[in-house]
Amino acid sequence: MMRGAVCIWQRDMLVLKRNISSELATVMAFPLTFFLTFGLGLKGYIQDIEGVPYAIFVVPGLISMTAILGAFDDGAWGMWFHRIVQKTIEEYRVNPITVTDIIVGKIISGFTSGFCKGLAVGISLFFLTGFKFSFLFLGSYLIFIFLGCITFSCLGSLCGTLIDKPENLGRIEAVVVMPLIFLAGLFFPLSAYPDSALYYIKAIPTTALFDGARIALLSGKIDPLYLIEMILSAIISFILAVRIFEKKMHG
Amino acid sequence: MEKEIEINQVTKRYGTLVAVKEVSLTIPQGMVFGLLGPNGAGKTTLVNILTTLMKSTSGSASVGGYDVVKDGARVRSLIGVVPQENNLDRYLTARENLIFHAKMHAMRPSSYNRRVDELLSLMGLAERQKDFPNKFSTGMQRRLVVARALVHDPQILFLDEPTTGLDPQAKRLLWDYFLSLKGKRTLFLTTHNMEEAEFLCDRITIIDHGSPIASGTPPQLKEMAEDSWFYEVEVAKPEEYLQVFLALPFVATSSLQDGQIRVALRKGATLGNLVEQIKPQDLKKLSSRQPSLEDIFLKLTGRGLRQ
Repeated sequence: MMRGAVCIWQRDMLVLKRNISSELATVMAFPLTFFLTFGLGLKGYIQDIEGVPYAIFVVPGLISMTAILGAFDDGAWGMWFHRIVQKTIEEYRVNPITVTDIIVGKIISGFTSGFCKGLAVGISLFFLTGFKFSFLFLGSYLIFIFLGCITFSCLGSLCGTLIDKPENLGRIEAVVVMPLIFLAGLFFPLSAYPDSALYYIKAIPTTALFDGARIALLSGKIDPLYLIEMILSAIISFILAVRIFEKKMHG
Repeated sequence: MEKEIEINQVTKRYGTLVAVKEVSLTIPQGMVFGLLGPNGAGKTTLVNILTTLMKSTSGSASVGGYDVVKDGARVRSLIGVVPQENNLDRYLTARENLIFHAKMHAMRPSSYNRRVDELLSLMGLAERQKDFPNKFSTGMQRRLVVARALVHDPQILFLDEPTTGLDPQAKRLLWDYFLSLKGKRTLFLTTHNMEEAEFLCDRITIIDHGSPIASGTPPQLKEMAEDSWFYEVEVAKPEEYLQVFLALPFVATSSLQDGQIRVALRKGATLGNLVEQIKPQDLKKLSSRQPSLEDIFLKLTGRGLRQ
């Protein structure tokens, strides 16, 4: 089953490699702007958060945001473009591979793209901020980024499968994905929420990702509830993306 | 001859719309088969069912001896598909497009590199192999799509309107190549180009509104029109005369093409009957002609093929 998925992933990586400089320039602009605005511009006006300087507090979130946005964009626009514009999905489907191969290949591509973009932004911010962390904690942090990229690549692929109009894909990102990111405590601690809202906020997968990843990177601890939430999100979104793509393709 | 493609009572519905209705066909190995019909007749739907892109609502079909639903992957390993649209990957070069296809068919570099070189050269694209398809003319893109379908040397080739939009030279190049495959490979061609069907096909089925309405070799189909006489009339105000002709009881069919009115007279009618309807000052040219497949289609459906 995996041969077709690997072929598609290799194709996507060839294209990504070919456009890597322009991709990175685009992807870095967004989080760096946020960092300059919030991390540096406002740091004098904001106290340390739970003992962490504000500029450092936002860095793990910015890396996570870049990674999951990269994964979502690649999954959504990649699938949409291949399905609607190039119609290459149709070409894939007349080859001796399965429909599952196609969606799995696209999900892995979205994941890789998001992960690479997050990594690039992470390295840049590391040098820019002098952000210090224990390399022993990196593994725990990457577990969250890994699961976040899988989840958002699946959700992106799902949107690219279901949505035909490009403006609607843009709307999903603006109305659903971005609010999910900002609600998850990217720029402020979750303790800022009233207790009554916190229960719901913590149930959002992006909160599990952003808060869980930040805790992992800054303290090396893995919150088991956040981890379970991320694993479940990844599994559910993977099953949904694969099933719905298969259903759509088989008419 | 062994059956290569077998279609049994295949129907495809989209809600209340019946795109393909109880179609049954058998195509032997090595034949160039043509499915002829106007836009929306159900040709592409049938190709999509046979190439496993779509499931039929009822009926069954097999390609290369394998059921298109149960053994989809086996069917896909035997077929090459040239779709109606040039669905090339514009982010891969011409060569990379072919290599990607070869990899999907689990070909090794030692076998696909030689094959890709051959095909690029055959299609006149060797010099442009490092270019991206969006820099190609429509004809070149079409040739690349055909080359891609041939990379794995398929046993059966599905060609869905393969030469639509091509200039005569590019069309001829592809026709010659398809002809060279005759007897060695099975070709399933859909077209609304009469000339193409007559030139390439061993057998033709005419389809309209999802159902076959006639089937046979090109000469057999033309025989269906032997009880009619065919004329081309060039007149001033052709639209007005078309309406006049259509109302005449001895006119079997009449249509306007490229400013000329094509008329088929019923058996027993004479040319004089027709000429009487035309004012002498309006008549520019009148000639008789051999019946074509288009006439057969017109006779069977009362409509032109490109409607």
